Amino acid sequence: MGDQNQIRVENRGGLSILDITGDVTSASEPFFSEAYKHPDVDGVGKIVLKFDEGAYINSGGIAVLIQLLAESRRTAQKVGITGLSEHFKKIFHMVGITRFADIYASMDEALQAME
Amino acid sequence: MFDEMSTCRVEMVLPTRIGYERIAMECSASFAKCWGTVAERIEDLKTAVAEACLNAMEHGNKGRPEARVVVTLDMVNGSIVVQVKDEGSGIPEIPPDPDIQKKIEELEPARGLGLFLIRHLMDQVEFNKFTEQGHVVRMVIRLENPQPVS
Repeated sequence: MGDQNQIRVENRGGLSILDITGDVTSASEPFFSEAYKHPDVDGVGKIVLKFDEGAYINSGGIAVLIQLLAESRRTAQKVGITGLSEHFKKIFHMVGITRFADIYASMDEALQAME
Repeated sequence: MFDEMSTCRVEMVLPTRIGYERIAMECSASFAKCWGTVAERIEDLKTAVAEACLNAMEHGNKGRPEARVVVTLDMVNGSIVVQVKDEGSGIPEIPPDPDIQKKIEELEPARGLGLFLIRHLMDQVEFNKFTEQGHVVRMVIRLENPQPVS
């Protein structure tokens, strides 16, 4: 019923961008898993997750993101997040995701801080 | 069916179908807009309603497609009261707030954030209310100055 996910991977040297289109729910897990195994993401030092500002993100989607953060912690990859609405910035802070990934106001800001 | 019925009650009957929580979410947002609710609180309401419906479908109705989730919206004494009913036997134990560190370290499951979000986004929440028709989660969001929008 929700918008189908599409995750486009863009590599910028030591940093990869995961451009996430659509809603983020438990159904997003295979899309995130596939993107995370992409050769441009595997082994890279830094990852930026770019969300759709109008996307619906529910607790199942946040759990998928936590799994990705767990994986990136194991592989010592730094994760940044951008594209969130003010509401989801608040939710991510509330849940504690901001302890493990920095949130940036824009992609430019994310790239400047992380590259 | 529920207590506190107001003259402006909106009632939705949803099948147990993941994704249909968005119908309740959007309807709740429209209801809140009708009462001049500020955008930030509408977003809080949408998330809490979606999570309550997902819990009702997954845990209350255990995914049975024939089971229904009934959502009512009322304006009572300056507050939006949302009640989400399922056909289950309630929440056996309200979990403590999730520990993100443990989740990241994979010492506890990544899932299980729904009740936490509901509790933190709403002004008042009651779990495990029971009626003849089933289990109800009651959520309240207080409005500063509710004004019906014509």
